[in-house]
Amino acid sequence: MLSISNLHVSVGDKPILKGLTLDVPAGEVHAVMGPNGAGKSTLGYALSGRPGYEATEGSVEWNGADLLDLDPAERAAKGVFLSFQYPIEIPGVPALTFVRTALNAQRRARGEEEVSAPEFLKLVKAASKALKMDFDMLKRPLNVGFSGGEKKRMEILQMALLEPSLLILDETDSGLDIDALRIVADGVNALRSPERSMLVITHYQRLLDYIKPDRVHVLAAGRIVASGGPELALQLEAEGYDKYLPAAA
Amino acid sequence: MAAVKETIDAVAELERYKYGFTSDVEQEFAPKGLNADIVRFISEKKGEPEWMLEWRLAAYERWQAMEEPTWAAVKYAPVDYQDLFYYAAPKKKEGPKSLDEVDPELLAVYEKLGIPLKEQEVLAGVEGAPRVAVDAVFDSVSVVTTFKEELAKAGVIFMPISEALREYPDLVRQYLGSVVPVSDNYFAALNSAVFSDGSFVYIPPGVRCPMELSTYFRINASQTGQFERTLIIADKGSYVSYLEGCTAPMRDENQLHAAVVEIVALDDAEVKYSTVQNWYPGDAEGRGGIYNFVTKRADCRGDRSKVSWTQVETGSAVTWKYPSCILKGEESSGEFYSIAITNGHQQADTGTKMIHLGRNSKSRIIAKAVSAGKSDSTYRGLVSVHPKATGVRNFTQCDSLLIGKDCGSHTIPYIEARNGSAQLEHEATTTRLSDDQLFYAQQRGLSEEEAVALLVNGFVRDVLQELPMEFAVEAQKLVAISLEGSVG
Amino acid sequence: MSALFDIDLADASTFPSRRTEAWKYSDLKRYLREAPQPSPTAAIGAPGPFYDLGGEAIVFANGRAVGVTDFIASGDQTLRLRYISDAVGTGHSAGARVAARAGARLLLLETHEGAGSAYVAHNTLELDVAAGAEVTRIVLVEEPEDALSIAQAQVKVEAGGVFRQTVIATGARLQRVETRVDHHARGAHVQADGLYLLNGARQADLTSVVRHLDRDGTTSQLIKGVARDAARGVFQGKIVVERGADGTDARMGHHALIASERAEIDAKPELIIYADDVQCAHGNTVGALDESALFYMQQRGVPADEARALLTQAFLIEVVDRIEHEGAREVVREWLTARL
Repeated sequence: MLSISNLHVSVGDKPILKGLTLDVPAGEVHAVMGPNGAGKSTLGYALSGRPGYEATEGSVEWNGADLLDLDPAERAAKGVFLSFQYPIEIPGVPALTFVRTALNAQRRARGEEEVSAPEFLKLVKAASKALKMDFDMLKRPLNVGFSGGEKKRMEILQMALLEPSLLILDETDSGLDIDALRIVADGVNALRSPERSMLVITHYQRLLDYIKPDRVHVLAAGRIVASGGPELALQLEAEGYDKYLPAAA
Repeated sequence: MAAVKETIDAVAELERYKYGFTSDVEQEFAPKGLNADIVRFISEKKGEPEWMLEWRLAAYERWQAMEEPTWAAVKYAPVDYQDLFYYAAPKKKEGPKSLDEVDPELLAVYEKLGIPLKEQEVLAGVEGAPRVAVDAVFDSVSVVTTFKEELAKAGVIFMPISEALREYPDLVRQYLGSVVPVSDNYFAALNSAVFSDGSFVYIPPGVRCPMELSTYFRINASQTGQFERTLIIADKGSYVSYLEGCTAPMRDENQLHAAVVEIVALDDAEVKYSTVQNWYPGDAEGRGGIYNFVTKRADCRGDRSKVSWTQVETGSAVTWKYPSCILKGEESSGEFYSIAITNGHQQADTGTKMIHLGRNSKSRIIAKAVSAGKSDSTYRGLVSVHPKATGVRNFTQCDSLLIGKDCGSHTIPYIEARNGSAQLEHEATTTRLSDDQLFYAQQRGLSEEEAVALLVNGFVRDVLQELPMEFAVEAQKLVAISLEGSVG
Repeated sequence: MSALFDIDLADASTFPSRRTEAWKYSDLKRYLREAPQPSPTAAIGAPGPFYDLGGEAIVFANGRAVGVTDFIASGDQTLRLRYISDAVGTGHSAGARVAARAGARLLLLETHEGAGSAYVAHNTLELDVAAGAEVTRIVLVEEPEDALSIAQAQVKVEAGGVFRQTVIATGARLQRVETRVDHHARGAHVQADGLYLLNGARQADLTSVVRHLDRDGTTSQLIKGVARDAARGVFQGKIVVERGADGTDARMGHHALIASERAEIDAKPELIIYADDVQCAHGNTVGALDESALFYMQQRGVPADEARALLTQAFLIEVVDRIEHEGAREVVREWLTARL
């Protein structure tokens, strides 16, 4: 269970999140929708501990642990995975090396045994096949020269291999054509399970046709201003965010 | 026949440098040569306070002990400092001058140069046209400053520095030499000893100067050095845009121009300083032309202060010039946008120094050099980051374009980072004018010279855009004129 | 002492100071005011990092030649050039001359192996690459932190010749690896790469001057460096295109990471161009590790220190990846990885 309570986050001196409260029970998929500038990406960064996103007030608990006390790698070891809106290019580090380093670092942090090289290769081959990814691509430096769709698939592949328990998808549909979107959504849906929580951050309703949420929240001006079932997303799609803007201002 | 050819060449030459005329203005000179008495003579002519004379004499003493710098990538015949006039002024009546009292011959000079000195003429222009206040410096003295009263209403002081020394001695004394100390370099020391005029600008706190300020420098007299001194103080939260233009007659001799410009920007102040330098570059054989040895420096001592240098350097036989920013204030910012065009036998060694002392200070350098003929152009720049200056950012882009086989183009940047949080980026390219592009433009009907002008204007566009509108148009034409005869 | 090199350890008046423009950032005079006492003989211990790659060897121990000092390569050959120092507080010089005959392929594996302390070493190399010959020079420099070391090479490349170089420096009190390469005839290709990895208060200075004297030459240079702690990295790269050297294509890049508040990087990448039919470019960046990449790695569970080490390695390894000879490349990769 993810429990965010009265979260205030500032970037530099500027307050972005202003008292955000949200619970995501285990096994549920929640969508956070909102207009540009509402603080959607900030929420993802704050949960994952990006430097410069300072929580000034409030708390974030994940399965009983206080996330705000932990550094980003420790949060990752607790199962927090942020799928980046714009995955970072890392020249010189082959994707395979990167994923294996990450997987073993997480395992060490949890007191588990590291994965051997052959075992790891087997896992990667299976996962990349499921995502229809060319295995040779994984020998290239991470995300360098990848298309938008390839980068997103790379995120989903890491998700599948790292097996996180809290998934935060930040605008995962941006830059994807319909086929790529379907593949990515299938990858995410395959990870749905009673132990996993998912937070899907998106501006458009489109992604939610493929990843069906249990609950939908509207984020405007740094706070959750409305919550409802999946029908709320359709309503937002039809009516836009206008009616939430004055209320939030 | 030979004589006819000669005449045609001479006319063609005149066409190219259209500011090359001399004017028959009655002038008075100080005796030739430099010694302590000449320094005293200049100071007395200006009716300066005693401390100013002492300041000059101290500078003169320092200068005598210094050696002329040789590190720049320029070669020139040595200057005989004893064979120059250090003071030349149009003869005029004493006392406060209005435009009506200015020698009509002088007004004609400026009219010919296209510099508006009559306020009513400027006002009579197109509705909404930008107005520019002008300080016109003719050889050693300022002949007229326009719009003084209107500027005074806004609290802006804009006057010849010689006048400011009499009217605002405390203000001048506080800042003069505080950015470029007298002993800074050989030419700055010389200037400090013998400068005769230049502009003084003070913008009070919170004031946005209501119009562009401009100084127009003209060297007219033969065998005369011009040593002007400009001091601009932008008080807290103020803004000013300042333009500088310069021309000189065509003469076979080399003339020395050793100016000093000091800018002080206090908290939140912004100064934009633009130069179109079109001193006489010498003739096609490299005879004559101005030695342009200039020290320009801005002290961004205030937090969030900003100084932007933009220069279009097309003239002078030899240029030695590095408009710089000392970024002392936190989050202060310095910019340098430069176009240096050399043709014929011109030599230019120019660039900037961005000295980052303040936290989160930023700088940006865009330098475009175009070399043609037998000319030589060097970009020389320094970006340095002090150990205590965290969060510094710099971006530098230097592009050089070569036209012809006999020119040279050099890029010599110095990058010194002494703080782990600095992010410095430098890019430079050197290429020739593309044959494909030239052909393409010609195929569509442009003459070769039009095509060159078009392509070069494209090459320098990023910098032209930084100029105030009315200057940009002039500069664009200048680019084309400077490169005439460079292809073929 | 060859006239090509202007420093003579026996004559203190030849020691450059920062007043000399080319030594602006490496003030030898500051550290060395007088000529050092000559070093005694040295014993040769370990076989050197490139031993397994075989080939011939030129060995200097504290400046004294153990065998020949000259070598002429023909056909396909490997030469290990070892400058070994184990002196304490004394100085020594050594000079080698190597040539590759027309059409030869030479792998030149140069090592500066320092033990002892506070010595002064001045090692020089004259290298001629004949028409159509191909020389790959790998230089590994590892010396005590209080040593003063100057390595100077003068390389001449004839028509169609290929000269590739990769310098790996770890710094000393003052360590300068200077290479002067002339495109002496048309159509030569030069690659002048290098990297420095500096800890403590070490300094390394990679200086190069590549002159294009004839047409259609290409030069490619990639230098990367990391300065940690209070270390200081210096890069001075000069590309000169002389009049008539048309068709030149020259690219230079220097990229440095400052990995500590107290570290320092000084760079002077110069282009001096006297010909118009050229394509020349240089790029220079100085900065810290990419914060967003660091966060991304941490987000995936890699601890900060490990992420930093991995990113640093990835940053530097690009230079190693450009070494074409596989055997040499793998030795260098291991050598470097061990020092990260």
